[in-house]
Amino acid sequence: MGNGKIVRLSLISSLAGLAAVYATALSTSQRITPIAKIDNSFIGARVIISGQIIDVQSSGNKHMFLKIKDDSGGIITVPIFSNLASKLTLTIGLLDYVEIRGNVSVYQNELEVIPSKPEDIKIVHTAPASISEIKEENLGKPVKVYGIVSSREIIGAGNIILNIGENGRKLKVFIPSKIVEGIPEVHVGDEVVIGGWLQLYNNEIELKVTSHLCIQKLETFLK
Amino acid sequence: MIVLILWILAGVLLGVITGMIPGLHVNNLTPAFVILAGGSGSVEIASLIVAMSITNVFVSYIPSTYLGVPEEGTELSVLPAHRLLLDGRGHYAIKLVVFGCLGGLLVSAAFLFPFLMIVEPAYGLIKPNMHWLLLFVVIVMIAIERSPSKIVWSCVIFVLSGFLGLVALDGGILKSETALMPLLSGLFGASVLLPSIASNCQLPEQKIDDREPDGLKKPILTGAFAGAVTGIIPGIGPSQGTVLAQLVSGCKGTEDFLAAVSSVNTSKALFSFAALYAIGRGRSGAAVAVGQILEIGSRELIIMVGVSLFAGGIAGLLTLKLSKIMAREMSKLPYRGLCAAVLVFITFLVFFYSGFVGLLVFATATSIGVLPAVVQVKRTHAMGVILLPCILFFAGVKESTLSMFGLA
Repeated sequence: MGNGKIVRLSLISSLAGLAAVYATALSTSQRITPIAKIDNSFIGARVIISGQIIDVQSSGNKHMFLKIKDDSGGIITVPIFSNLASKLTLTIGLLDYVEIRGNVSVYQNELEVIPSKPEDIKIVHTAPASISEIKEENLGKPVKVYGIVSSREIIGAGNIILNIGENGRKLKVFIPSKIVEGIPEVHVGDEVVIGGWLQLYNNEIELKVTSHLCIQKLETFLK
Repeated sequence: MIVLILWILAGVLLGVITGMIPGLHVNNLTPAFVILAGGSGSVEIASLIVAMSITNVFVSYIPSTYLGVPEEGTELSVLPAHRLLLDGRGHYAIKLVVFGCLGGLLVSAAFLFPFLMIVEPAYGLIKPNMHWLLLFVVIVMIAIERSPSKIVWSCVIFVLSGFLGLVALDGGILKSETALMPLLSGLFGASVLLPSIASNCQLPEQKIDDREPDGLKKPILTGAFAGAVTGIIPGIGPSQGTVLAQLVSGCKGTEDFLAAVSSVNTSKALFSFAALYAIGRGRSGAAVAVGQILEIGSRELIIMVGVSLFAGGIAGLLTLKLSKIMAREMSKLPYRGLCAAVLVFITFLVFFYSGFVGLLVFATATSIGVLPAVVQVKRTHAMGVILLPCILFFAGVKESTLSMFGLA
């Protein structure tokens, strides 16, 4: 076989192969992976997950850690490192729906999906609940509520208690001192959207905030 | 101390095993050691990983030279070393790379701290213009083909391999740790083995001469510096480092090339650990694993350098010994059958690590990898597989390019 034939064959084979690889990549790039299906065999793979933020934590060095739950029932951590978090123009809050693209990695035996650029994170904000919708059945669950700050006091070692109200209904919000740094300036009369976990304290329902990211003034929330 | 030495020797042994078995990489074993260390800060386990990583660099040149099977970092050495092998000088090729590896290791260890002081700020200056620098390297590589038809073919090979690299590495079809394997095995491994199988060539008897390689100071020095740069800067591999080293030094010829590429490789391996100390990030799978086990301060860095030198010394001797055995036995074996067996083995490994998609990428890469030999241009153009994604990344247009192709 002459070189001409080999060249033609190699070229045809290369181009056909490239087309097939490209088609595979195209079909993969749009597919959402159920979180429950993600296991150790996915480590290093790039996936897309879609679900609701059921927990938001932040660290002192401005990293954010989201816990995402989807319809498959799986829960996975999504770390958003400070270099990426600083580039995000959208606010991320508890109970928002997100679509995350990222590489599956493992940290301290726990799987996580790590996005690397702002475009890897798509957010759909959920509307906050009304204070009147909060019942004892919701205790121990995460909620996001809208209200107007009616009082603000500092107790103990720097913890903050906010009272927020809406249509005559009131809710106490407990902000532990360890997350106070980084919360927006909130004054009496401000409209806020606050996410947190409902708990019973002295027989009274209160909202415990777990991250400064869960407190947003209304103008920020609407961004 | 004796316990530490035993751990290092275990690392050397594992480095020999991972180096000798094509497709088996240090990164396949490191997660097990991270789990074994369990956050204990064990210097012994970290030393084992360092010794394994350094030894692997040395020993992996044996399959890449005698069987034409590259691992990451040895891909460019395959053809020059293979040429020496077909000339009956396979062992001499190994001598050259052992010289290069040891030289690179010694130079980079000697200049480690001054290098770290220079490289990090230098990176800050170079980084904004990295894509221009890489583009310049590509243009020079293509331009030196001289004849217009060869230049056109070089461009075709660069673009085909570059697009394949972009889709395979960033298209989300392969896991990041294993994505390079089908690409490099196809472009630089199977495509070298196939003609050997087709032509029924028999290896000439290998000469084991005692001649010492000489006059390799320049490629080793420039290689060590390029290795330092590639060890700190993300996205630049030993192959690009070698091209840079050659451009800077003006080194030509097979001997200079093999010494430079191997010097780059050991220097890069050492600096990938040093990057943990300098910038807090490991620049290789093994370095990341060490970073997960130990917090690297100057004391730990000095230990890592000592372990690298100790393991490198043993690895050099072992590599020469293994090469002598290979040189003696290779010509007695049916080379065509051996190449076919290796090809089957690589195909199996590609399937094992990356499934059917990996096989598809491997077949495509092999088809592209056959082209340079038949159109008689340099195989280095197929390094577009890494260079094109790197250029797009440093130019800040990789994401928009991927988006344009519907892949982001």
